[in-house]
Amino acid sequence: MDRPSIYARSRKEAPANESRVRLIITACDCPANTHGEHVVRNYEGIALVCPVSLGYAKQSSHGAAWYVGSVLREIIHSAGIAKSDVDGLAVSSFSLGVDSAIALTQHFGLSPRWIEQANMGGVSGIVALRKAARAVQCGEAQIVACIGGDGAGHRSFEATAAHFSSWSIDASFPYGAGGPNAAFSLITRHYMEKYGAKREDFARIAVDQRYNANHYPKALLGHKRLSTQDYLQARPIAGPLHLFDCVMPCAGGEGFLIMSEARARTLKLPFVRLLAADELHNAHPKDSVQDRGGWTEYMSALYQRAGVGPEDIDLLQTYDDYPVISMMQIEDLGFCEKGDGPRFVQETDMRFDHSGAPSRKLPHNTCGGQLSCGQAGSAAGYLGLTETIRQLTHTAGSNQVPRARHGLVSGYGMVNYDRGLCSGAALLARGDA
Amino acid sequence: MNLKEKMQRRLKLSRPSLRARARPPKHRTTLGAQFTAANLSTALALQHCKSCGHTQYPPTELCGICLEDQLIYQPADGAGVILAKTELHHSLWEYFKRRLRQGSWPLCSVALNSGPEVIAHLGSDHLKAGDPARVFSHTDASQQAVLIAVDANVDVSYPEARREIVSAMNLDIPAIKEDGL
Repeated sequence: MDRPSIYARSRKEAPANESRVRLIITACDCPANTHGEHVVRNYEGIALVCPVSLGYAKQSSHGAAWYVGSVLREIIHSAGIAKSDVDGLAVSSFSLGVDSAIALTQHFGLSPRWIEQANMGGVSGIVALRKAARAVQCGEAQIVACIGGDGAGHRSFEATAAHFSSWSIDASFPYGAGGPNAAFSLITRHYMEKYGAKREDFARIAVDQRYNANHYPKALLGHKRLSTQDYLQARPIAGPLHLFDCVMPCAGGEGFLIMSEARARTLKLPFVRLLAADELHNAHPKDSVQDRGGWTEYMSALYQRAGVGPEDIDLLQTYDDYPVISMMQIEDLGFCEKGDGPRFVQETDMRFDHSGAPSRKLPHNTCGGQLSCGQAGSAAGYLGLTETIRQLTHTAGSNQVPRARHGLVSGYGMVNYDRGLCSGAALLARGDA
Repeated sequence: MNLKEKMQRRLKLSRPSLRARARPPKHRTTLGAQFTAANLSTALALQHCKSCGHTQYPPTELCGICLEDQLIYQPADGAGVILAKTELHHSLWEYFKRRLRQGSWPLCSVALNSGPEVIAHLGSDHLKAGDPARVFSHTDASQQAVLIAVDANVDVSYPEARREIVSAMNLDIPAIKEDGL
């Protein structure tokens, strides 16, 4: 697999199970990273268990509390624990309305001693995971349920888009009311003009993901096949974006548990370890149009801390609200150089079962991603994590990636005005890897 | 909400808009309303920080650079460069849905020479990324200020000239449901 030399560090050379790794962050134009040298503690002893995906519905009469609570019920059943054993709760949702995570504790009869509400769209899952892992590591909670859930009432997406942020209300929604399609069509067109990407390149991402969804029974569009020709002939939505570039808003719930490795072993639950994770928000604020995210500032350090490189990754889950954003992540996460994304996806088989023609294999969005599962609000920010936990514990079933040991999940989101502000990434490994 | 009210509400939401005269989104935050008020009398007024000189857009309460509470609206130069251009074929809003039946709706983002990056309706169709442009504000059919980008050679210093451009875009009149209610 091609990779930039900056990541040329094999697993053998990396410090094995070092409890504290010193790293130097080089100065960049991001205010968040100008503090020079700092030390990040690793996530040793943390286990991710019991991934639950409820499934998706284009419209639902159920509210967000139903989805969050149902995920909680399924998680407790699959873990074989009592509800009272869950002493930490992290919730992400756009559609709780007047309720908050605290209100849900009374709805669900929970008495957690640790609570978190992370409503950050596509990066919600990684934000919740990082906080929950630290809480368990520090002993502030023993079992934390991380859950994203959102309902989809009739025309509720219009209301969400019309009132997404104060900047979008004042300065983007009145211009054509295209919702996120408008902002991402500007980003997509700019990327195509700057790096020469073509619609055929974006088709590679959408078509391989649909193949994956065809093998994942819960995917909303999993029953439909998608060919490159179908993709290219779809009706136009906004500029270069056509129908299959856009995710379908839907209802859904996703979640998992964070506990100590020792507890997971006692409960006999197959688990996944968190090798490293990071976030950076509102990175590169001086870029006039977004074509990179915060990953560029921390991925090399993240790989170093984890002791793995892009060549060790068996499956990649990017946040695919639009194919261009997945391509941007593939570049920024170190799989190829900036601007090389179009060539990379043409030369890479992104199917879960390695059945595609290209010789380079990188299973990508192995359950179909949001492009084929649907975008369930904040739950979509958990989709990559639940899928990766299933894959790495070898419990995925019909869309299982063969011999999966290391997975990379990245999150992106929150188009406050003209770009997605959040970036997050988590490197996960099979419990015995 | 009892069941009857719920069903009435659902019916109202489900049926296509019967509104005779659809208008662009009217809703703004308090700061957006201030932006409209400040732009009534001039081609373009943007928030200017008296403390650090930063020009701020979209409107905020504090300066995004120095965080001082010293923002005042001042007439601003609308000259800039097109960053990216697009055209909508789909909208969530009835006004634009009706407009889109006549053809796609052009939009662009512009980097103003004074600093801010703005999203604007595109008044000159031939412009593409990298071209010089001029941005001005005008009230739309909802009586809210919106930004319009045109070719840099177009003179927008007179209100009549600006009104003419906006009229040509049909932005100042509601979208009428032509085949009746």
